[in-house]
Amino acid sequence: MAYQIGLYLIYGIAAQGIGYLWGKTGVLPLGQSLFFGIAAYVTAITLRADGNLFLNLGLATIGLTLISGLAFLLATLVFRGRNESGPYFSLITLALVMIAEQVAGTASSLTGGFNGISGFNSLGNLDPFGGFYYVIVAATVTVSLLLFILNRLPINLIVKSVMDNEPRMQLLGFRTHVIKGAAFAFSAMIAALAGGLFASHQGIVTPTSAGFALSAEMVILTAVGGRFHVLGPLIGAVIVGWASAELRDSFPYWELLMAVVFILVILKSPGGIAELLETAFRWVWPKEAKHVPPSVLVPKIQFNKQKKPLRFEDVKLQIGVVQILNKVSFEAPLTGIISIIGPNGAGKTSALNTITGNLNVTGGRIMLGESRIDSRPPHRALANGIGRKLQVPSVFFSLSISENLAIAMMAGRLRLADLFKPATYQWRSKSLFDILSNPSVPLNEELTEPVKHLPQGHRQFLEYAMTVAAEPSVLLLDEPCAGLSPDETTLMTELVKTYQSETSGLVIVIEHDMSIVEAISDKVLVLHLGQVLAFDDYDKVRLNTDVQAVYAGGTK
Amino acid sequence: MTLLLEIENLTGGYKDTNVLFDISVKIGAGSLLGVLGRNGVGKTTFARLVQGGIKASHGDIRLDGQPILNKSAHARRRMGVGYMPQTAMVFDDLTVLENLSLYPNKKSLDYYFDRFPRLAERLNQPAGTMSGGERKILSFVRTMIEDTKLIILDEPTEGVQPENINLMADCLRERVAEGAAVFLCEQNLNLLSEVSDWFLGLDSGRVIMTESADTTNRDDLNAVLSL
Amino acid sequence: MSPVLLLNLAWQISTLALIALGLAIVFGKLRIMNMAHGEFVMIGAYAPVITSMLGLPGWLQLPVCLITVAFVAFVLERTIVRHLYGRMFDSLLATWGIAILLREIVELIFGRSYQSVSPPLSGTINVIGVDYPAYRIAVIIGIFLGFIGFSWWNTRSKMATRIKAMVGNPELAEAIGLNTARLSAGAFVFGCCTAGLAGLILAPTVRIEPMMGLDYLIRSFFALVVGGLGSLEGLGIGVSIIAGTQTFLGAVSSQTYGYLAVLTLSILFLWLKPNGIHSSSR
Repeated sequence: MAYQIGLYLIYGIAAQGIGYLWGKTGVLPLGQSLFFGIAAYVTAITLRADGNLFLNLGLATIGLTLISGLAFLLATLVFRGRNESGPYFSLITLALVMIAEQVAGTASSLTGGFNGISGFNSLGNLDPFGGFYYVIVAATVTVSLLLFILNRLPINLIVKSVMDNEPRMQLLGFRTHVIKGAAFAFSAMIAALAGGLFASHQGIVTPTSAGFALSAEMVILTAVGGRFHVLGPLIGAVIVGWASAELRDSFPYWELLMAVVFILVILKSPGGIAELLETAFRWVWPKEAKHVPPSVLVPKIQFNKQKKPLRFEDVKLQIGVVQILNKVSFEAPLTGIISIIGPNGAGKTSALNTITGNLNVTGGRIMLGESRIDSRPPHRALANGIGRKLQVPSVFFSLSISENLAIAMMAGRLRLADLFKPATYQWRSKSLFDILSNPSVPLNEELTEPVKHLPQGHRQFLEYAMTVAAEPSVLLLDEPCAGLSPDETTLMTELVKTYQSETSGLVIVIEHDMSIVEAISDKVLVLHLGQVLAFDDYDKVRLNTDVQAVYAGGTK
Repeated sequence: MTLLLEIENLTGGYKDTNVLFDISVKIGAGSLLGVLGRNGVGKTTFARLVQGGIKASHGDIRLDGQPILNKSAHARRRMGVGYMPQTAMVFDDLTVLENLSLYPNKKSLDYYFDRFPRLAERLNQPAGTMSGGERKILSFVRTMIEDTKLIILDEPTEGVQPENINLMADCLRERVAEGAAVFLCEQNLNLLSEVSDWFLGLDSGRVIMTESADTTNRDDLNAVLSL
Repeated sequence: MSPVLLLNLAWQISTLALIALGLAIVFGKLRIMNMAHGEFVMIGAYAPVITSMLGLPGWLQLPVCLITVAFVAFVLERTIVRHLYGRMFDSLLATWGIAILLREIVELIFGRSYQSVSPPLSGTINVIGVDYPAYRIAVIIGIFLGFIGFSWWNTRSKMATRIKAMVGNPELAEAIGLNTARLSAGAFVFGCCTAGLAGLILAPTVRIEPMMGLDYLIRSFFALVVGGLGSLEGLGIGVSIIAGTQTFLGAVSSQTYGYLAVLTLSILFLWLKPNGIHSSSR
């Protein structure tokens, strides 16, 4: 019995790694037995070569580090420059594990071919039916505790935010491909740990340990057990393992039943068994309402806040056959509010996209002081002091308002150590505090509901607050007043003006409403068909005959 | 004026949460109803309940005397209900022309291309690559050319430059003159007061004002928006 | 290149193209990562087994095949798959469950042992200097003509655009009058039927057993990955590369190396050119 439970726990540990990656980042690893299998083979080979406990433990540590390093490299390479947790990565892991299975079956001299490697004792010569069981239990407890602790640390919020809205994370300065790579490496390390235990426990390793079927099996265990909870995959592995051992022989429809249960879990209960258990648990012991902890003063912004002039030099942007920007040149002042106006399709949003690197220019360059800033990945914009609010409010929809703000506060301020300090959650800067303490601003921090229930207008304020939290010296706002009522519009313009005068930085606003443009602008940039039509004071622009022609004659 | 749409005691929302309560309103053919209210009062929910994207929990909706409450959105469209959503208002992966020609249209495209020439210039460009305002215009034109008698528009002018808003107002007046009823959810008071025959004010999911345009002034409208 | 190898290649390409066409619709258009696609090939291959079990005449094989596959696909679409639109990962997992389910059901009915059937056409024809089975020649020509017909219809009908519209924005598609439930069910059933038809065609040339589908699934998946989703040209290119690599490496060295080459090729494409060689989307 302990022998069987030990095996289920080993699969459970590997499944916990899958659950972490899949539940938190949305990346589904289909080839986790690649790492499980490599570790199992390496363990088998070293155990067979030498039984010295300390030597083996040392080699295991090195092995785990190497395997997670390999996984990190693989994932960051694939995720680099691509904003999806997508199916393609899953398919790559699937193809890799299929290759591994073939290689393990073919390279007989190293792996023993289809018969595998056997004839070695377990780690420290412990009895797989007795003593080694406690090693497995200890490993299970350690991994679970580690995952529980990680869940309570700021790093958890960061990982969740990457899954929720990757482009927004990049504009907040986070290198998202590295974060996803690290999460993948962590789950690979857990799989490798399980693989090592497996070899030591079973005393035999065959190509199926590195195979596609095992990968699929572990994903099923994770899904059925519940990928969002630390213990879910473990529960899944033990329950399914035990039930299948009990029923497989006496009940001919067992496999059929498992398939149906699996489909039902995917369709109806993505939280799996763990969620059902938790609901039952909460029914008996209701959860206490979360209260927002007191604020903690923030550390200094890490990036260089020295103000430098922003300059477009003959910037061109072509997408397909369409010339979006055609030799745009202008130099923004160090401080003040610039409004960009122009007919729909003039290239206003695209101009901001070239500044943040969401679009790469096809000609010319954009300078900030002496350094060229165009065509860099978006996560580097904030380091240059550039903050961006998007046209359609882009916030973290599955998180609460206070979580959204907490992430925004970390932007530009976070050091590696802060990822592991709970106090990081409570950071609040003065600029953010000013916004939140304004009674007219419709943001209630106490709300624990996900912000996807917020109406569009409130999301505008939230995204604005998140953008200024990092105190950018160049603030880019794309139609911040769209969808706002007249009163809310006045409030938003007041906020923008206050921010600008307090930081004496540069704000660039795209706006259609001429009364707003008149009220806030120090200068107005008029774009038309991707070219600068005028760049001057509001009054002068209004009297400019070219501008009048464009606006009076429709868009012809 | 013939009655086109009758809504009685309409209550509904998302999943278990009702957002709108007990709304009753009638729209005649050839008239425009301006629906106004602050953010989050339920304008979008109202539009989608009438359009069929979400199901009402109770109440009654009749189009030309026929009950449509239990009809799907596509069935309502075939009965003559057109809809322009607030967000995701075009098919991003499709070209401008494909967006406009998925379904047989009543009106000629050229008529609208003359007014919004930017669309004609971008016929073979994927709609998702256009700017926010251009997508609004594309969606608006798509709604105009359809063979519909009730047109529901949810914030059609967000991000659209003032000149194009004026053109949109002209198009709306034409469709109303042809006998269509229009249901316009809007924050832009200029447009609303220019084209509406009736106003419906909403707050917290309930009707707080139903007035004819003749008896309403700008301050009344502002009052609804800044409660 | 020997004539037999060339004909084998044509046979491999045409049958794989038929299977991949169905997957291109279900995965490429509906965005359902159908891991049970191979199981529809398997069900189609069992159609001759069914007709001979029931003592039905041979010409009923085709209707029995299409009706069985269409029925299974329709029931699955209405009960399970329709909840999966827009949920790519869930679609992958749930259809993986469907694949296990279908394999188990077929195993319960027909057992695990291999079945085999004889081709409706026997004998050989002399083509480009070699005697080649007449049945295979007929299939190659038939599929070729079928593809010409399909691409002719595809360029004229708005069906592909409508499906693309529906998948990109289902609520708007409903709002402009598309019956999305009928459209998606129709496309899914059509996609599964091409797989079933391919199964029927392959039946006389392979061992029929419940596990046979996986290999077809993998090859057609990777053919789409290499060729790119969204166009018939891409499909043709992808299928030719995958079938070609496997046929040649299989002939000159071993099946294992052919398989490894296909997998390596797919990884390189997934990583460096995720939209494939030929893609309609920018």
